[in-house]
Amino acid sequence: MLNYIIRRLLLMFPTLLGITALVFFCMALAPGGIGGPALDQSGDMDTERATQVRAYYEKRYGIDKPVIVQYGRWLNQISPIGFTIKEDGSLGRLAIKAPSLGESMSRHRPVADLIRETLPITLLLNLITIPIIYSIGIISGIYAARHRGKLYDVGTGTAFLALWSIPSMWAGVMLIGLLANRQYIKIFPTGGLQGIFASEMPFLPRWTEAGFVHGYLLDVLWHLVLPIVCLSYGGFAFLSKLTRASILENLNADYVRTARAKGVTNNVILFRHVFRNSLLALITVVASILPAMLAGSVVIETIFNLPGMGQLAVHAVQYRDREVVLAMTLISGLLGLTSQIVRDIWYAVADPRVSYE
Amino acid sequence: MSEAITTTMPQTDAAAPAARRPSRSFIRMVLSNTMIRWGARLGVAWIAVMVFSAVFAPFLANSHPLLMKQDGVISSPLLKHLTINDVLILIAAGLAILTLTMRRIAFSARVLAYACVLLALIPAAWWHESLVHFFTRLSFSEHGEQVRPLVAWGVSGLLTAYIVVMGVLIYKLVRSPSLTLPWKIVTLALAAGLMVLFLVKPHQPPRLVEYDRYRVMAKAGSIEWKIHTPIPFSPSDRLRDQPQMQSQPPDATHWMGTTNLGADLAANMIYASRIALSIGFISTGIALIIGIIIGGMMGYYSGWVDLLGMRLVEIFSAIPTLILLLAFVAAFGANLYIIMVIIGLTGWVGDAVFVRAEFLRLRNQDFVQAARALGLPLRSILFRHMLPNGVAPLLVSASFGVAGAIQSESVLSFLGIGLKDEASWGRLLNDALGSSGTFYWWLAFYPGFAIFITVLAYNLIGEALRDAIDPHLQKAAHL
Repeated sequence: MLNYIIRRLLLMFPTLLGITALVFFCMALAPGGIGGPALDQSGDMDTERATQVRAYYEKRYGIDKPVIVQYGRWLNQISPIGFTIKEDGSLGRLAIKAPSLGESMSRHRPVADLIRETLPITLLLNLITIPIIYSIGIISGIYAARHRGKLYDVGTGTAFLALWSIPSMWAGVMLIGLLANRQYIKIFPTGGLQGIFASEMPFLPRWTEAGFVHGYLLDVLWHLVLPIVCLSYGGFAFLSKLTRASILENLNADYVRTARAKGVTNNVILFRHVFRNSLLALITVVASILPAMLAGSVVIETIFNLPGMGQLAVHAVQYRDREVVLAMTLISGLLGLTSQIVRDIWYAVADPRVSYE
Repeated sequence: MSEAITTTMPQTDAAAPAARRPSRSFIRMVLSNTMIRWGARLGVAWIAVMVFSAVFAPFLANSHPLLMKQDGVISSPLLKHLTINDVLILIAAGLAILTLTMRRIAFSARVLAYACVLLALIPAAWWHESLVHFFTRLSFSEHGEQVRPLVAWGVSGLLTAYIVVMGVLIYKLVRSPSLTLPWKIVTLALAAGLMVLFLVKPHQPPRLVEYDRYRVMAKAGSIEWKIHTPIPFSPSDRLRDQPQMQSQPPDATHWMGTTNLGADLAANMIYASRIALSIGFISTGIALIIGIIIGGMMGYYSGWVDLLGMRLVEIFSAIPTLILLLAFVAAFGANLYIIMVIIGLTGWVGDAVFVRAEFLRLRNQDFVQAARALGLPLRSILFRHMLPNGVAPLLVSASFGVAGAIQSESVLSFLGIGLKDEASWGRLLNDALGSSGTFYWWLAFYPGFAIFITVLAYNLIGEALRDAIDPHLQKAAHL
């Protein structure tokens, strides 16, 4: 097992190299090249000055170098062991240095800062959504499997396939339009993470002389209700169908009949035997759910105007902001690969029959 | 054992069709098992509606009258204003119906002939569409002096691939035993005719079309009579004669309301079904081809080919597809064909994993061992013997893939980096929330509902296929 984990961890390096190289060269090959839209500030400058400014930026961000050299320098920049960069941009000596994600071309700020600001928002969205998806999906799936062929099972079977097919942008637009709009019903905020007066609020809700103050926490949660609804319905619909299918498959297995014959109660069979065996199917999708959620939050963050990683990614990709795009790719690639490894480890933990030797 | 080999040896040539027969009946069984499910029937019915509206879009919604009488002369402005794309789609659809109905000729031969003619249509579409501009834009660096070598290589590679595929198809057609000589001549003449016809036609600059002239003329009384299509508006007819008609809710003339540019939403919806259909089929086709080749190699060879292939699969599955799509589209522009190719290039992973799992299972089975022992060439083993046996799960993954591709396109268009000139459901949906916070419910409801129904249709078909093939199929591919 340890061997396997080490091998997988080592295999992550070529994969990450491949991921970043793919995205980088795709960007470099594009018309306008790296940083094209971000650095063209020729607006009302005369041609000569615009060329100078462009040349200055090209030198500052190293875009004047060949594409392969740029990629090499980026790799050097993120690795903890590498060449130091001198003032004039030439390579110094090999040393241990602090890895850095570089500086954004379109916002002229360190990428690490941008990510530090946006990552918590995306994580917050996903960390609230994933437990919701799993709890609703598993409970509903078990219930449907137990009452197979009954109204609930048949009803959710069709309804969840439909729910799963609803594009989240449609749900988002309709929810904002109907529930956060003065024309119709105005309950929820249209977007953003907090209200205008959120910074003056106490953290927790409380009663004061002026009446009920809903506080910062409730304010943020209230802003998150619609985005989380949009992010979660597809996931739990999918998981519920998956849980139902794998529990049914196990319920028909021989070991369940044996357990029944021994006189084991239904609940013990279901939760101690069947559920544990059904976990495998649920674990399989963990690895694909995390990257999918990241991608899903791109749409949701755009609709609800949440300043998370998704919005940052869309902006960076449009401006071909080399450093930010590569950092996003690296982070999402790391997340994706890690969840694949975690999935494989969970397999072995959940099912003693699985071995990687 | 040796006796068995010697008896089958002389029949190698005849063995290939014989070996295919049971597998084809398996596919047929799966299809008929699928079609008894009501979900699949509903899905197929909806797709048929979409195909109908895509093919006959100009005859369903058009600002140009179908027939009109002016100064004693009867004319059809609609036919005069058909674009080359409309004509190509009509030709392709008509030939598809012919292909499907002519039962006398073997199915594979019919498909071969159809593919030949369809491939001959591509230069016409290529010549006409903005692909020319795209390649020109891509081939020059920012300052426009030199050709980027990589792109030049890519373009010439594509051309070579096209010529090779065309050559192979024509060769196969000529050698095909199940087509008679007249049919071969007809097919080749049709292909050559289409190619020459459209290549001779020069690339025309865009025409100025005045959509409102018929309404103005009718109002002035200079038209005696005119017959319109059911929806008398083109998708890009922005009702310039009625500027107050922007963002109007549905009424009797505009059945689904108007967009915020004043175009009729129903007409846009009909034309957008073309985008949805073509994106779905073509990008899934590209994904399938890549997936079959890579997955087949991985499954057949296993070992280090598998190891390398799995890294490739990991690379593509660890990046969120949407971010990859965004990067590709931002880089290569939002052309319809580019978006198709890009969605295909990012969507093959699931197919490859399916094919790999199937081929890993099949490679040790007797018939594959026998084919190998007989010394059949690799392509024959892979594509003639193994693929037909492993193709059923691919139908499932292709069906879900079409749904995914349609969703991807509408997300891209919704985010404003996808299609800009063409009517697309995602782009229409994007206009639903006005900048001042007004909610145009018809712009959200109809396009969103169309995306939803289409995705649901493909998902229903996929689910029915999966149930028809094997309820335990999900476990075959560990993804």
